[in-house]
Order: sequence, then structure tokens, then C-alpha cells
Amino acid sequence: MSDMASFNERQLDAIREVGNIGTGNAATALSGLLSRMIHMDVPQTELVSIYELGEHYGDPMQIVGAVFVRSTGGFNCSLIFIQPEEDAKLMVELLLKQQFGTFIPFSEVPQDITDSALTEVGNIVLSSFLSSINMLLSSQYQISVPGVAHDMLSSILDVVASIYGQMGETALLVNTVLKVEGLDEGRRISGHIILIPDPDALDILLRKLKVI
Amino acid sequence: MAESSVVLGMADLMVMPAPVKLITLGLGSCIGLVVYDTFAKVAGMAHIMLPDSRGLKTAEKVGKFADTAVPALIEEMLRKGAVRARIKAKIAGGAQMFSLPGASAEFLTVGAKNVSETRKRLLNMGIAILASDTGGNKGRTIEFSTSNWMLKVKTLGKGVSEI
Repeated sequence: MSDMASFNERQLDAIREVGNIGTGNAATALSGLLSRMIHMDVPQTELVSIYELGEHYGDPMQIVGAVFVRSTGGFNCSLIFIQPEEDAKLMVELLLKQQFGTFIPFSEVPQDITDSALTEVGNIVLSSFLSSINMLLSSQYQISVPGVAHDMLSSILDVVASIYGQMGETALLVNTVLKVEGLDEGRRISGHIILIPDPDALDILLRKLKVI
Repeated sequence: MAESSVVLGMADLMVMPAPVKLITLGLGSCIGLVVYDTFAKVAGMAHIMLPDSRGLKTAEKVGKFADTAVPALIEEMLRKGAVRARIKAKIAGGAQMFSLPGASAEFLTVGAKNVSETRKRLLNMGIAILASDTGGNKGRTIEFSTSNWMLKVKTLGKGVSEI
């Protein structure tokens, strides 16, 4: 399906439900990992102009931490877990303190270690998402090694533009916000999970969901 | 005359008379292509997203693809008084933001393809590339000023360089 505008409400709803199931599982995994309650927004299925991706998710110049995985098999897609850089730092700090106690000053932990921890959290969140949606679709799948980046939001989202740009001007994305609850006053950890289906996988998805 | 600043978005393409500052924010795998003629005092910029339009015939922005952006940008330069033999180019961008060992997906390496296609198209049109800052795995913010015809490249963690 090359014309993104041709999706009907029922189809967009069905895709959102896929996001809902994926996010539920991802939130459970994150909750277990951090031993905290996770607040989860209702996922949105969004049709976004590829020229406005940078602005769509916030300030395009904002520095973010992002973990990216690619999944192939019955339903080809990419997934990205994006957090404001500060939030990513806090999350890693929370995780490391839980694992190793407070006797290691967080500021002295080398970036390789914090990056590796961030990648692993992202990997667990995104793998949980993928495993539940592939169970729903009863499809086989493989998942790539995760990639991590710290950079400007708009540079990171170039990857979405390069997936959708070749065949059109609109990207179909499923977006959810997760928030970690029960943190100290003034602290905040939130993150976006963005599901980026391959454009040519959308038909397959809709057929499996029986809305085509 | 005061220098005006123009910020180009994704797939935008623009040619302006000096004095002007042309800016593109947060380039990842995209390319910021600058062309200028110091004698005619005009400069242009394109924010290229992908290497090849593959003959796409829809009414998309010409700045989106390297194969359509380069000729369109040069043509616009000529229309604004530039002379082809005097036009010089500088390019920045084309990073690979994520590397996933073992995964093969065309879009992951689109940055490198953007660079090579842009270079090839400029070469074909006989435009000299005087400077470039491409590749790597970091995003770039770029500013080209006609006050010194230099391209300022800001990279997170590496600071600012002028090429």
C-alpha cells in the first residue's frame, strides 16, 4: 500500500491495537527491570509528513538517547526507544544503583558502561514489544543486535525518513509514551516507543489482522 | 546590509543573493549541499534526504533526492546570475546514526549513498567540491555565511569546525 492516506479508521485502529499489545508487554518488562510502576499512554497511530518528523516529537535540536532495533520475518519493522538525554541518564542511574548499590558514584561510571546499560534496557523493552506482537500475528521473527545513539532528535529521526522517503511523503508510525513512576521529587524518566513498520509490510499486517 | 538567516527544512532547496546565512539543523543521514559563486555573490543550499528518485514522477520536492536536487540547485544558481564555471560546492552530512552488526537493511547505510550520489552528480556537472565533512555516526548542524563563504559544522561532542 503506497498511499498512506488511503487507510481507513478501522485499519488505523487495528494497527493501534498492535501497538497497545506491544507497549503493554514492554511496560511490564521495564517495570520488572526497574522495580517501579510504569505509566503508559494510549498508543497513537500517526500519519506524519516525513518533512516534519523532527518537529513532530519535540524540539528537533533536543539531545536524546535512542536505541534502535530491526526485526524481520512475518512482519518486517523497526523499533526505536527515544528518551530525552537527561531521562536516559536517570534511568541508567536507577538501574545501576539497583544492581550494584550506591557505593559506586554514578558520575564515575564510564560511558561505555552506561551506554551498554541503556542499550540493554532499550533492547529488553523493544524485544518484549516485538515478542508480543509477533505472538499476536503468529509469525516467526528475528531481531537485530540493538544500535544506540546520542544525538539531536532530528538527526535520529532521519532514519524514519529514509525508510518511508523512497515511496512517498508520509510515514505511518505507532507512538506510545512510557513514564516511570515513584521517583524522587523533580525527577522524571519518560520515553517514546515508536514502531516503524516497513511500508511494504503494512498490507501483510492488515491482512493478518483481517481488516483488509 | 544586514545578513538575513534562512533555515532550510527537509528536502528544501533555496538560492539567495548575499548577504545571507543558510542554515540546516540536525542533519543525520541527510546531506547539506552548499553551492556558491563569490563573484556573482549568490549562494544556495539543499537538504537532500535520499540518493535516487528512481524516476519517481509525483509532485515531490526536487530537493529530496540527490539526482534531482543537484541539477535543480545549479539551474536556480544560473537563474540568479551565477556562472557555472565559477560555482563551487561544499557538502556535509551523510552520517550513519545506528549501526546494527549483522543486520542488512538498505536504509541503514543511506547516508553513505547520499554522499556518493551527491558527489557523482556534482562531478557530472563539472562543479568542484572544495570541502566536505561527511560520514561518521554523528548528526550535524550547518551554517553557511556569505560573509566569508565558509561552512560552519557543529557536531555533538566534537564542537564546531569551519570548512
